[in-house]
Amino acid sequence: MAWIVIVAAGLFEMLGVVLLNRVARNRSILNILLLAASFTASFSLLSIAMQSLPMGTAYAIWTGIGAAGGAMLGMILYGESKEWRRIFFIALILGSTVGLKVIA
Amino acid sequence: MNRYWIYVILASVFEVGWVSGLKHAYDLLTWIATIIAITVSFTVMIVASSKLPVGTVYAVFVGLGSAGTILADMFLFAQPVEPVKLLLIGILLAGVIGLKMVTKDPEGETG
Repeated sequence: MAWIVIVAAGLFEMLGVVLLNRVARNRSILNILLLAASFTASFSLLSIAMQSLPMGTAYAIWTGIGAAGGAMLGMILYGESKEWRRIFFIALILGSTVGLKVIA
Repeated sequence: MNRYWIYVILASVFEVGWVSGLKHAYDLLTWIATIIAITVSFTVMIVASSKLPVGTVYAVFVGLGSAGTILADMFLFAQPVEPVKLLLIGILLAGVIGLKMVTKDPEGETG
């Protein structure tokens, strides 16, 4: 059950990154409220999952799904650069971030 | 370095503030400071995202925020200094610098 919750938290974070794109293009109140709601849902689900999963594991999965998924959706939906060096450096950042969270 | 990259770094600094706050806040004042840090952090990140690719901004925000949080734990909250953590932070910084180098600067902003 905690695993479903943590994946849902990651998906809401992905949605948050997509909404960040929307807000950056159109700073309407509705978009800002949707962004806030999405990150609030994500953080709430993360804290629920952390009650039964180890904190490092929960953080690592959440960051991995959210940031990698968000970057991928940025490429698919918003035409962000798919250049291999960009993907490599994003992967390097996310890989070391996930590593830090696992061992923290 | 153009100012949108400085905003990303600023957002990460405030992220370290609010992550530490969520862990260590203990009274009304520290909780208010934590909420202010969350607001500033996200506002500055939104401004950075208006000119830089969001995937880039968010990856750097999350990465620098985690690295900073771990450094804050070591130096402010007396967690043990572990070489493997410092190594991962080094790799992370290399990734951020690389990503900065391959990202086209926003129009009208020069390094």
